[in-house]
Amino acid sequence: MAPRSLWSGSLSFGLVNVPVALVSAVQDRDVHFNQLDKKTGARLHVERYCKEEDVAIEYDEVASGYPRSDGDGYVMLTDLELEAAQPEKTRTIDISEFVDLQDVDPIYFDHPYFLVPKAEGEGALRAYKLLVGVMEATDRVALGRFVMRTKEYLVALRVQGGVLQLVTMKFADEIRSADDLPNLPTKKHQPSKGEVDHAVALIEELSVDWDPEQYKDRHRDRLRKIIRDKKKGKTIKAPEEPEVPAAVPDLMAALRESLEAARSDGKGKADGSSKAKSGGSKAKEKAKAKA
Amino acid sequence: MAPRSIWNGAVAFGAVNVPIKVYGALEDKAIRFRELHVKDGSEVGHRLIDQKGKEIPRDRVVKGFEVSGGEYVVLSDDEIKAADQPARKAIELEDFVPGEDIDPVFYGKPYHLAPQKDAEDAYALLVKALEKSGRVGIGRVSLRQREQLVSVRPVDGVLRMQIMRFADELVDPDSLDVDEPSKKPGKREIDMAGMLVETLAATFEPERYEDTYRERVLEVVKAKEKGEQITLPDPEPASDSDDLMAALEASLKASKG
Repeated sequence: MAPRSLWSGSLSFGLVNVPVALVSAVQDRDVHFNQLDKKTGARLHVERYCKEEDVAIEYDEVASGYPRSDGDGYVMLTDLELEAAQPEKTRTIDISEFVDLQDVDPIYFDHPYFLVPKAEGEGALRAYKLLVGVMEATDRVALGRFVMRTKEYLVALRVQGGVLQLVTMKFADEIRSADDLPNLPTKKHQPSKGEVDHAVALIEELSVDWDPEQYKDRHRDRLRKIIRDKKKGKTIKAPEEPEVPAAVPDLMAALRESLEAARSDGKGKADGSSKAKSGGSKAKEKAKAKA
Repeated sequence: MAPRSIWNGAVAFGAVNVPIKVYGALEDKAIRFRELHVKDGSEVGHRLIDQKGKEIPRDRVVKGFEVSGGEYVVLSDDEIKAADQPARKAIELEDFVPGEDIDPVFYGKPYHLAPQKDAEDAYALLVKALEKSGRVGIGRVSLRQREQLVSVRPVDGVLRMQIMRFADELVDPDSLDVDEPSKKPGKREIDMAGMLVETLAATFEPERYEDTYRERVLEVVKAKEKGEQITLPDPEPASDSDDLMAALEASLKASKG
């Protein structure tokens, strides 16, 4: 099934324009529930209705309201009127520059999408392939901006598997500074060299390659199991309140204990997990050599 | 205004745990609109109805999972909560990985972590050790009613947590079925496009980008409030991408000023 297009317009690179459609690069795998009427078991739906007339209305009968400056009601704008705010940004993703991916702090990344060519014409497909080819050859990401659903986004473009990938980004003023957080450590809290060495050694022991495939969504699996159990008529026990871990009284002792545990089983936390680690890290190799 | 924490617990790795509080790192600046009925400008409400169109009050609504056509298993909130059963109120770091190996598509919502009172020493130690090792902690925490995969890294002396997407949530680009042109771009076209990339090379400076659209939308709102007519300019004619070479040549010329 072809994924639903969320936006379509033109990707512009210099004076080269490529008609594209935006599709999400994330698929929702969550376990979803429906809302039911407790009394009849009937499945329920959300209905939009006009509060004045008390009649159901369709989504295409909905406009956007912004509070009037005198506080009395709303200024009503249609989607077309909103588009008039900056039509070029609503229709075009304009590549403005190319930057090093490593320089972009991951806090800026928001949601990943793919851009697929929209027109079937030979010219458009070739222009798309040209962009893919040239972007594959550079280790930079393209930056651009565009407007989707009345919000402007800064975007980063890269190539993944021969397809243009677009990740929406946050603007700097949408990110809260960490400066005014309470209790941040000061100079007098600086750890000793021995503590740092031990903590680094522990991190090394617990180091592995980044292998995203091996992290499974356990919540999803547990929820499915609960649904199966409930269907069979089993009682689902409410979970106990999680224990709040107490602060460690002696950091050095805790580090030593953890290091010992990590070195003895080659892998730190004794959580009983038996997941196979692919491509063991150097630290692990070292640990094995020592054992 | 002092930031408000959304969760408190500990960052745990090995036998070490660091009591912390979690703070949202994002500020929502999107303009919020109210849904209005375009016909008469009155407010739009949302209500739950059954198949016959009868409104059902919220206190009569339960959650059901459809196990097969029309057959539902009903779960209470407490039963759903059972799927989320952390033993400890902690961000349990399982692994440490090289941060530069993590593709940006995995990163989701960001949070700041600050130490609880008297945990400053342990917090400072974790920051220092992560900085020195150059690694990012990967772990699990129960947050927003579900267990999440998260990353924890130090940024300018402060621990930052980001929710991570699971690999199976990401769409495989191979599944998208993108058509191939019958004639691939030529070497000269690729070379020229490459030159164009070079002329656009820059350093990432996040402060340089501002959401100017917000202001433009508010201007349109103001104009409409004054009773002005809002008109949308005609779309520009779609440019002809058939002559790629000509477009590239013109772009290069323009970029060199």
